[in-house]
Order: sequence, then C-alpha cells, then structure tokens
Amino acid sequence: MFWSVIQANRRKTLLLIVLMGFFLILTGAVIGMSFAGGRLLEGGLAGAGIAALVWAALLLLSLYASDEVLLEVSRAREVSRETYPQLFNVVEEMVIAGSLPAVPRVYVVGDPAPNAFALGKSPEKSHLCVTAGLLALCGRDELQGVVAHELGHIMNRDVLYLTVAASMLGSLLLLSDFFLRMFKYSAIRFTARSRKAGPAAGVLILLSLLLAVLGPVLARIFYFSLSRRREYLADATSARLTRYPEGLASALEKIGSYPGAHSAAPAVTSPFYLVNPGRQGLAGGAFATHPPLASRIRVLRAMTQGAGYMEYLKAYLTATHGRATLIAREDLRDADRVEIRPPSGGAPAPSTSDVRRRAGEIIRAINDFIFITCPCGMKLKLPPEFAGKQVTCPRCKREHEAKKPDAGSFSGALRTQAAMDRDVPGPTRGQDVRYEPGKWQNFSCARCGHPYEISPSFGGSRLTCSSCGSIIRFAPGPRAITS
Amino acid sequence: MSTGTMVLLALLILLAALFLFGAAAYNSLVSLRNGIRNAWSQIDVQLKRRHDLVPNLVEAVKGYAAHEKGTLDAVTQARSKAAGARSLADISKAETELTGVLGRFMAVMESYPELKADGSFLALQEELASTENRISFARQAYNDQVLFLNNKVQMFPSNIVAGMFAFRREGYFELEDKTQRDPVKVNLG
Repeated sequence: MFWSVIQANRRKTLLLIVLMGFFLILTGAVIGMSFAGGRLLEGGLAGAGIAALVWAALLLLSLYASDEVLLEVSRAREVSRETYPQLFNVVEEMVIAGSLPAVPRVYVVGDPAPNAFALGKSPEKSHLCVTAGLLALCGRDELQGVVAHELGHIMNRDVLYLTVAASMLGSLLLLSDFFLRMFKYSAIRFTARSRKAGPAAGVLILLSLLLAVLGPVLARIFYFSLSRRREYLADATSARLTRYPEGLASALEKIGSYPGAHSAAPAVTSPFYLVNPGRQGLAGGAFATHPPLASRIRVLRAMTQGAGYMEYLKAYLTATHGRATLIAREDLRDADRVEIRPPSGGAPAPSTSDVRRRAGEIIRAINDFIFITCPCGMKLKLPPEFAGKQVTCPRCKREHEAKKPDAGSFSGALRTQAAMDRDVPGPTRGQDVRYEPGKWQNFSCARCGHPYEISPSFGGSRLTCSSCGSIIRFAPGPRAITS
Repeated sequence: MSTGTMVLLALLILLAALFLFGAAAYNSLVSLRNGIRNAWSQIDVQLKRRHDLVPNLVEAVKGYAAHEKGTLDAVTQARSKAAGARSLADISKAETELTGVLGRFMAVMESYPELKADGSFLALQEELASTENRISFARQAYNDQVLFLNNKVQMFPSNIVAGMFAFRREGYFELEDKTQRDPVKVNLG
C-alpha cells in the first residue's frame, strides 16, 4: 500500500474543498456586488451566502451522489456473476490479493472501445466498470492486470480526489456559464446603470467578467495537470497484486493498437479511465491526463527481476528518464520481494473480427436483448421490444416465444469467452466427420441431428447440412464419428 | 508552582505519553493478528472451494477420458487426503500435492479436443483456474501479514508491548510445487 499517496490524496481532497469554497464564496460576493448597484455590502453578503449554499450542495453531491451520477453518465450497467463469471472471478482474486475489505460492484459499459474505470471514495464501497470491448479483447491474465490497476486507484484513494475534482470542475464550468449569460443579459442595461453607480460598478463588472473567463481555463489546467504519477503507481500496484506485469503490459498494448473508433466518453470523466478515451495511440500529448501508453508498457516489460514495488521502481528508472521519487521511500520500506508467477494458460488471442463480434454480443446482452438458440442452430438476437412476442426462425420457420430475460442476467448468453465461441452457429464453424471410403455409413448432423447416409461411392469433402446450414467436413478415417 | 508539583506534572505527562504509545502499539498488533486470522480463513475458504470442485471436474471428464483412470484416481486420492489434513504442516503438504496432481491432470486433458468444446468442462476449468489463483493470492496476502506482524514483534520498541501481551511470531504458509519453481536469478550487475 502506498500510504504516503493515500495521505496525499486525502490532503489534496481537503485542500481542494476548502479552496473551492473560498473561490466560490469570493466569486459569489463579487457577482453579488456587481449586481447590487450602490449597496455593495448587502449585495456582496447575499452573493456570498448563495455561493456558500451552492458550495455545500456541491460538496454533498460530490461526496455522496457522484458515483451514481458518473455511472449514469457513462451508461454503465451493473451485471451479475452469472453474466460473466471470468470477470467476477478475476475481481474476487484481486480483492483477495489486495486484502480489500469488500468486493466492488461490477459494471459493464456497452462500448466497443476497450477501456475500464473505477469509482468509489474508499475500498469499502467501490464500483468497477469495464467496457464490452475490453472483455472481448482481453484474455484472463490481461483482464486481471486491468482489474488490479483499477483496484490500485481505489486503494490509493486516487478516485476520491478525482471524484471531488470532477464535481468541482463541473460546477465551475456550470457556474461561469451561468455567470456569462447573466452578464450578457444585464449588459443591455449596463450603460444606463453605470451613470448612477459610478466607476466602481464598471470595475466590478470587468473583474467578474475576468473571473468568468478565467474560471474554466483554471479548472481545466488544474484538472489536466493531475499527477500522471498516479497511473504509474496504479500500474505498480497491478504488477504487485497480479505478480504478472506482462498481463497489464499486453492489455495496454492491445488497447493502444485497437483500430476502431474511440469511445464517446464525456470529457469530464476521461481521467477516470484506464487509458485516455479520447485521442489514442501510444504517445501522449502535453495536456494528456495519462502518461503515454508506450512508456507504461516499457516499464512493465522491464520488470524481469520480480513483481514488487522495488522492482517496479527500478524498471521505471531504466525504462524512462523519470525520478526515483516516483515511489516514496517510506512506501518502499515494507516492500517485500515478490516473484513473478508463470502465465495462466488460456485461449489464444482472438482475431479482430472475433473481438468485434464478441463486443457486439456483450453490448446486446447488457441492453437486454433476448437470445434464443433455435434447435436448427440459428441464434436469434432480438431487441428488448420483442419480449413476450412470438417470433419465427428465419432459417427453419420454427415458432419461438421471446421470453424476457431475468433482471441483471445476460439470459445465459454470455458464459466464458471460450464457451461463447462454441455457441456460434452458422457456416463459419463446421464439424468434422470421419468416414471409411467404400462403405455404407450413417451419421447425423451434430448441430441439428438431421440424419445422413454415405454411399460407398461417396468421395466428397464438404457438405452443407440441408436442415441447419452448418458445414460438415469429411475426412477419410477408420470409422464414422459424429462430433 | 513548586519544584515538587513540576516534577509530578512532568512524570504524569511522561506516563501519559508512554501509555498512549503502548496503546497504539497494542492496537496495531491486534489488528495485524486479526488480519492474519482473516487471511487464514480466506485461504481455508479457497481450499474448501477447491475440494468441492474436484469431484465435479472428475465427473465431467469421465465421459470423455474414461481410460485415463490412473490420472483420475490420483486426483481423487490427493483430494481426499487434502480434505482430511488437520495440522498446518499436513495441510501444507497435502495441498501442495493436490496442486501438482491437478496441474498434471489439466495438462493431460489438454489433449482431448472434445473436452475443450464442452461448456460445463470449460466453466469448471475457469473455476479451477480462479481457485488456484485465489489460493495463491490468499497465501501471498497471509504471508505479507505474517511478515508485518513478525517485524513488529521483533523490532524495538513495539517488541516490548508484544512481549507483555504474548504476541508471538507466526509461521508462513508454504504452498509451492518445488519441481515447477525456477531458480531465482539474482543480477548483481
């Protein structure tokens, strides 16, 4: 645990709250004065009072409701264990590895671009979101690396600071926008009033205009100058928890070279993500909220001696020209040697078209699509409007009733990724049948059960099942086996 | 204020400081010990999970690879031995064996393409992989906690408080398949 980082994030959060209060009340007072004509004190006090109320409301909102708001903004859907067992398994493994007090709630965002983020002020109550694209793209070890990185943000209280900062930034932008409108509106009467109020009002209006213009700029600079160190530290936590730095490195590499269009995540939420959801690529810009992916990958790949914090720091120093202060000395005191574990065997990397298809499947599932596997092998994917209606299979004309899936379940459509691949019907996947030439043989299609008989003169190598359309391949062999 | 009261006051402040330090050290020792117990119960839960998983796995495989009877029997035996172990040393030994046997079992099953297309086997395989991971992460977490406690128990000044309340060093939980472990390469350059 990076205790010094946790302390620093708590301190920064407190400081930010106090500073924002100060700034808001000051702005409120200035606005109040500039609209009060001659009675400066009353106007200023009223403005400050209103601003204080706004501040208190914002504070309550950012501390107690921001998670729900941000989840809503990101269109994240909470999923249950049955929907994606591997994701839940990986999350629980990392909770054990990090000795977290509670398992975070798990969400999937219906976005084909691979990304992830975490929300929550403390490890006791947190939320973990991954996009459908990430689930489709990543293997087990990669998913584990990403999940551990996000849990690292929660453990280091980065999310606490970010959440408060995001709500404050949002409020600043909203307020200055409102302020500018007010000013534009009152500018019509500006000439008439300035004669009565004297030069003071003019100065104040100028000042308030300046604040209104500078406010968002300041907020943005502050927001985007957020320490990029936090990403390196979360990577270090990920390596330490998974004991397998290559997992995250390979996930980041895949995400960096993801060819599709990138997500339309709202700009305010961009610092929350695993990788910057806007501009992509392996390099980073001056205003980037994240360090360049390439150097994060380089550091992780340079960890050959172990998976502990000390090893991460060493790798960081060799791979980048960074400073040794990345990890505070007091946090390294308890750092023990952690050996890198061997990779867990898993399915080979899916092809790009496979990734697209899987992502689409997951997005449909979280949007309550109804999946029906027809006995003929056809898989029907129906939008939620079809719930309760009768549908006809386009291939074999069987009648089906579209049953509404249970709440929070993917109606069994998504199990493990490997099982998903198996379920894919149609001509893309085939079945192999062995036969002995020169003999009569019987077999039935493995998908729909349609019976066939091979005559002794049969010499073909392929057959499209006349009943379900799946491809049956033939190979000469000792006996007929239906797969 | 006379010198007497001054000395008395100074003594009182010293005592209070000592008491506060003692209380803090005691509390951190207790929370570490609870952390260790918690980590151990986590290991225990995961080991039980694995014991429950093994019969299902064997059952799922039987239909496809009945002639691998030797491997299946070895898994079943190692499982019942592990489930029966009581002392820490016995558990450690039996579970290490089970890990090794299961590893070999999964390697053998790799050569059955029909199995890899079986949904229930794949689900069990994922559960087994996850359980193995959980055991190993829980072990790491447990050993981390033990390291922290042992440091506190041995280091001055918290060792005084530890001695007063009989906090002892705890043993590490070893669960390694020694044959699979690569020699650690140390680069001194």
